[in-house]
Amino acid sequence: MSESFIQTNNLLKVYDGSTLALDNVNIRIDQGDWTSLIGPSGSGKTTLLNMISCLDKPTEGSIVIDNKIVTDLNQVQLTQFRRENIGLIFQKYYLIPYLTALENVMIAMYYHSTVDEDQAIDSLTKVGLEHRLDHKPSKLSGGEQQRVCIARALINNPKILVADEPTGNLDQKNGQIVLDLIHSLHQEGHTILLVTHNIDIAKQGDHIMQIIDGKILEEKESN
Amino acid sequence: MFFRILRKSLQKRKGKVAISIIAVIMGASIPSAMLTVSLDINGKINYEFRKFGANLLVVPESDTIDVGIGDISLSSVTDQRYINETDINKIKSINWSRNILGYAPFLYQVISAETSEEKQQVVLVGTWFDKNTSLEDGSYFQTGVKRINAWWWEIEGNWISDLETINVSDEIYCMIGKNVANKMNLQLGNEINISYEADSNIINKTLIVAGIITSGGTEDNHILVSLPIAQNITNHINQVHTIQVSALCTACPIETIAGEIEGIIDDIDARTILQMTNTEMNILSKIEMMMTLVTIIALLGTILGVSTTLTTSVLERRTEIGLMKSIGAENKKIAALFLTESTIIGLIGGIFGFIIGFVGAQIVGLMVFNSLVSLQVIIIPIALGISVGVSLIASFIPVRRAMKIEPIIVLRGE
Repeated sequence: MSESFIQTNNLLKVYDGSTLALDNVNIRIDQGDWTSLIGPSGSGKTTLLNMISCLDKPTEGSIVIDNKIVTDLNQVQLTQFRRENIGLIFQKYYLIPYLTALENVMIAMYYHSTVDEDQAIDSLTKVGLEHRLDHKPSKLSGGEQQRVCIARALINNPKILVADEPTGNLDQKNGQIVLDLIHSLHQEGHTILLVTHNIDIAKQGDHIMQIIDGKILEEKESN
Repeated sequence: MFFRILRKSLQKRKGKVAISIIAVIMGASIPSAMLTVSLDINGKINYEFRKFGANLLVVPESDTIDVGIGDISLSSVTDQRYINETDINKIKSINWSRNILGYAPFLYQVISAETSEEKQQVVLVGTWFDKNTSLEDGSYFQTGVKRINAWWWEIEGNWISDLETINVSDEIYCMIGKNVANKMNLQLGNEINISYEADSNIINKTLIVAGIITSGGTEDNHILVSLPIAQNITNHINQVHTIQVSALCTACPIETIAGEIEGIIDDIDARTILQMTNTEMNILSKIEMMMTLVTIIALLGTILGVSTTLTTSVLERRTEIGLMKSIGAENKKIAALFLTESTIIGLIGGIFGFIIGFVGAQIVGLMVFNSLVSLQVIIIPIALGISVGVSLIASFIPVRRAMKIEPIIVLRGE
C-alpha cells in the first residue's frame, strides 16, 4: 500500500496510566480529501484530532504526515511543524479578546514568519469580513467569530485544516456559511479533517470515520 | 505586532497591571528612600558624631633612648618634643581638607595656682578657642576647641577669646575646669595667681575666671588659656604638644586622612582615636545593616506581590496562551511577552517608587537630622534597575507556568 498524506499506525493513547482513549487506531487520509470524524462524546475523536494536529503525542504508535514521522519530533519541532502545516478551527473560536479581527489573523502570521497586513485583510475578505476588520470579538456574532477563526487558520497556507465541531456553537444560517467556506477550501485542494456530532455535516465530506470507545468502527465513502 | 499585542494586553488588564505597578512602587520606594538616606547619612551622622569631639590626635614623633649597662636595660628616656605652631594650619591643605571640620592645638604645663585660700598644682592648657586662623592659600578658617568639642562642654560664664599677644596691661582671662573651681573655691570673676618656674626664672601671672567648664573629661581638672599666653608663661614660643583634629570620614577612611597629615607635617604621628572611630563605624554599620534588612524585606514583599499578580494573570490567560501556542507561538515568544510586561511594570513602578522614596527620604532627613537629604542622581538608575530586576525575578515562576501550559487545552475546551 502506498503512503497516504496522513497515516496513523497502531495509535494508542492512555491517560493517567489506565484510561484508554485511543485503541490501535490506523487511519489513512489522502491529500485533498475531506474526512469527517464522527462519534459520541468521549469516544476519542478529539484525542485523535489532537494527535493529528500535533498538539499531543500518542502513548504508542506513530503518525506520518506528508512523509514525516511527526511522533518522532520534539516539542519545538512539533510546534514548528504545526504552524507550517496545520490550520486549526475551533468550536469556541478562541479569538484573543483584546485584539481586533484583523489582529487576530495577523497574530498567526507573527508566530509563523512576518506580518503582512494586506494579506491578513485578503484572508478576512475571503471569509466575507472585510467590513469587520477593526471589530473586536465581543462586537462580532458567533458566525463572524468563526469566520475570523477560519481566516486565521488559512493565513499561513496550511496543508491540512483541522476543524473541531466548527458549527457546534452556531445557528443554522451561520453554520451553513461556515460549511460553505469549508467546502470552498476543500475545492481549493485543502486536506480537511472535521470532527462533528452531526451526521448530515459529516456526509458533506469525502469520507466518514466513526469512532467509538477509542476504536475506528467504520470507515466509508460519503454519498 | 509584538508591541501591539503587548500594548493591547496591558490596556485590557489595566486593573491588574496597576496592582503590579503599585506593588513595585511600594517595593522600589523603600530601597530608594533607604539608599538616598544611606548615601547622605554617613555625612549627617558623622556631623552628629563630631559633636563628641576629635577623632584624630597629632603628636610629635618621639625618640626613645634605652638606658642601661651592657645588654641590661634599666629604663628608657623619652625626649619631649613639640609641634611647631606654624605647621598646624597645614592640616587644612591636605587633599581631603574638605573633610577636616576643625582642629585645636594644645600645650600642657603643670603650674602652681594660688588663691587667697588655696594653693594647688594644676595643669595649664593653652589652646585655640575659636580662632579665625589664616591658611597658606590666604583664606581664613574658624577653628578651635569651641568648634570641635563645644557641643558637649557645659560652660558656665563665657568663652574667652584667642589673644595673639600679651600686654602687661591686659587682663588675662581663663576658663577653669569644674574640679579646679570646686577645689579652689573659685567662682566667675575670681582671680587666680599662677606661677611657673623655668630655668630659675619664676613667671607670675594673674588670671581672671571667665568661664567654668563641665566636660566630664580631663578638662574639668585644667585651667585653659589662649595658646600664646600658655606659650609665653611656659616659654614654649610657637610650640604645641598635640593637635586634636575632627575629621569627617564619609568618603575616605580616617587612616587616609591621618596618613596625609603625617605626609604634610614633618616629625609627627597622626593617631586615630580608635575607640571612637570604631564605635562610630560600628553604629554606622548597624544602621546600614538595619536599612539593608528593611530593604530586603520590602523587596521580598514586592517580589511576592508582583509574582502573585502575574501568576493570577497567567492562570486567567491560560486559554489565550494555549491558543497562541496552538497557532505556532514558541515558548520564547510567550516568555518575551510576559517578561516585557514585567519590565514595563518595573520601569513605571521604579520611576514612581523613586519619587516617593525621595520624598520619604526628605521626611526621614527632616525628622531625624533636621535637614533635607540631597538628591543623589546615581539612585535613579539604581532604583530603576532594582525595580526592573525585582519584577523580572517576580515573573520567573509565572513565566515558567506559562511555558508549561500545553496548547492542547484549547481543543479540550478548558
